[in-house]
Amino acid sequence: MKKAVAALLALMFVPLLAQEGQWLMYSGAYTSHRFSPLRQISVETVSHLGPVWVYQPPGAGSIEATPVVANGVMYVTAGPTIVAALDLKSGRPLWEWTRPISPSVLNLGFPRVNRGVAILDNMVYVGTLDGYLVALDAKAGIERWSVHVGDNPTGHAITAAPLVVDDKVIVGISGGEAGIRGFLDAYDAKTGKPVWRFWTVPSPGEPGSESWPGDSWVHGGGATWLTGSYDPALKLLYWGTGNPGPDWNGDSRKGDNLYTSSLVAIEVETGKARWHFQFTPHDVHDWDANQIPVLVDTELGGRPRSLVVTANRNGFFYALDRKTGEFVFGTPYAKQTWAKGLDEHGRPIEIPNMAPSEKGTLVYPSLQGSTNWSSPSYSPVTNMLYVPVREMGSIYYKTGVEYKPGTYYTGGSEKRLDEESWGAVRALDVKTGKQVWDFRLPSPPWAGVMATAGGLVFGGSNEGNFFALDAKTGKALWHFQTGGAIRSGPMSFLVGDKQHIAVAGGHALFVFALDGA
Amino acid sequence: MRRQLPVIAYVVLLVMALSATATAQTRPRAAAATSDLTAGRRIFDAQCAWCHGAGGEGGTGPNLHGRLRHATTYNSIVDIVINGIPGTDMPSFRLGLTERSARQAATYVQSLSRAAARPGPGNPQRGATVYQSSGCGSCHVVAGRGGVLGPELTSIGARRGARHLREAIVKPAASHPPGYLVVRAVPAAGAEVRGIRVNEDVFWIHIRDASGTVHALQKSELSRTDRELDASLMPSYESRLSAADLDDVVAYLASLRGAK
Repeated sequence: MKKAVAALLALMFVPLLAQEGQWLMYSGAYTSHRFSPLRQISVETVSHLGPVWVYQPPGAGSIEATPVVANGVMYVTAGPTIVAALDLKSGRPLWEWTRPISPSVLNLGFPRVNRGVAILDNMVYVGTLDGYLVALDAKAGIERWSVHVGDNPTGHAITAAPLVVDDKVIVGISGGEAGIRGFLDAYDAKTGKPVWRFWTVPSPGEPGSESWPGDSWVHGGGATWLTGSYDPALKLLYWGTGNPGPDWNGDSRKGDNLYTSSLVAIEVETGKARWHFQFTPHDVHDWDANQIPVLVDTELGGRPRSLVVTANRNGFFYALDRKTGEFVFGTPYAKQTWAKGLDEHGRPIEIPNMAPSEKGTLVYPSLQGSTNWSSPSYSPVTNMLYVPVREMGSIYYKTGVEYKPGTYYTGGSEKRLDEESWGAVRALDVKTGKQVWDFRLPSPPWAGVMATAGGLVFGGSNEGNFFALDAKTGKALWHFQTGGAIRSGPMSFLVGDKQHIAVAGGHALFVFALDGA
Repeated sequence: MRRQLPVIAYVVLLVMALSATATAQTRPRAAAATSDLTAGRRIFDAQCAWCHGAGGEGGTGPNLHGRLRHATTYNSIVDIVINGIPGTDMPSFRLGLTERSARQAATYVQSLSRAAARPGPGNPQRGATVYQSSGCGSCHVVAGRGGVLGPELTSIGARRGARHLREAIVKPAASHPPGYLVVRAVPAAGAEVRGIRVNEDVFWIHIRDASGTVHALQKSELSRTDRELDASLMPSYESRLSAADLDDVVAYLASLRGAK
């Protein structure tokens, strides 16, 4: 009965079009479940899965995007900023759009990549490495408008897929290692006219500014470098924010440094924050909270709850009330050595002397965190959150720091414990955060995962494996070697009545279906 | 401290496109020199000594006394600190050090390079003979000749310090180089395989055993796979070499600086 209720609630959250076999946005749907309701490829049939076509974009950039499929066309991006529209049956490009990105364009703290597009009507929206939001004609790949979002010479760049809500395009900014002041922007989808900007670091006098001494807020970080989620009923966006600046030397910014390393619920109409929850106050380990928040409706303690759940980079899984931001519960889901636990409000109870130091401090997780930007997935069928987990420690160093525009503003570094590290796809019960199963990987992964109504969880490895696991048990049922590190999220769509699965490995996009080509 | 240096790798977060823009030195050079040297030494001890050894005597990274292989001027040392050396283990410190700190570290490194390298105790010519007679060449290549089970040593003296080379001979298990992880795979049916991990993904593992044979094994057919993080296929030569022979072999290896 509980399962039936959960499944019903989930269906209400899956946009109608997704059920028709499209994949309309980066995370599949506003809930960011990354759950495909398609079931043709299932526990029973997946052994017959085979490649149908492979697409390789122009240039040498890798593919870290999750493709979008709408109106019978796939839109995928490659680094540094290339968009391709592909025919679903043949994989052949209908158009390819390349933005000239000079070698002098800065990418301070991240690779020269692009992680995907947003679509609305006949428009495709893409952020560019040099800091613009561009709208392309979906049929021809010709630019309709572009708008300047952030100055690249001071380290601003866009790598995340935008999110379309109603008539707005919401786009985040990268640059948290360059001393930017983070923000989230909304633009008019038709014209590109700015609608609102939410600053993730408040200016003096605004709420939260008391957590920044002096003028430290000016280069306070809080980048918004991954796509957020949206609840249409509450009209709230849920967006993660990145580390405060400087990353590893917090001397100049004593205080909690709001709203960095936080989740912020933002009114989509006004751009104002309704609530915030800070996972890592005064972060000095670069534990961004940009991981994709997942909107889950489930029963807890005998009553239905509207939650936003996230496995954070700091090693803890959190469940928050998505109306109020109230901390519901939290628990470690990976090895961490910096906190004894969380208090009743969800604030970490920190272990002393775990901050970076001149001589080095060994801490788990590493600066890349217990998970990172690779997407988790939630299955309303199993009520589990599937998380790509990185088990790795680092020795954190603190060094001097000075702000110079367009250079690193970090105040430290790390030496990571590579050989002893490993990875996993880990299934967590969303009601408790407890591990249900663990599928081990040879190294900490960068691949996202996707759960399906066919009872499967698709995932990938740095070693090029693309695989399907039994969503209930974690047992591997099928796998394919793509030949390149998988640093992208799988997705699923229909061609006619046939279910397909896509994932990028290295420089190529692979598409699979039952019985292959 | 259980593990030795090679298990720790510097993180190099990204490939940078922008080269460092040097700012003019406005302070009088002489006045700045002493404080820069002191500051540089502190930075070196914290960030560089891990590989280059205390005082730059060499470790998993090269000895920095005497002529530097990759840098001849102060500015080229600064460039290496900031950008690293592509194709080597030397990482970029652009992320962790400010330009000023990088310059201070370079000042200290330059002061080391001006001090002549202290000659080790051994005789490299004699060491070459000991190398041959001890059978080192059955597993290691020098200048195109030798076996391939262990790492190539053609330019090992340019990449590792003498102290590290000595330890690698005496306690090979404590200092196996990256890429030479020993694994032991036990099939559900059949004999166990132990050797160097050539490759591993989620479903397969490839192991080169001591005879040089590569075994391609499906993990689903293994009952267990052990990573022996503290093991090496190379035996210790501590009791096989006299103290003088050991000095000589270390001196020989330290003299191997490749084609350049």
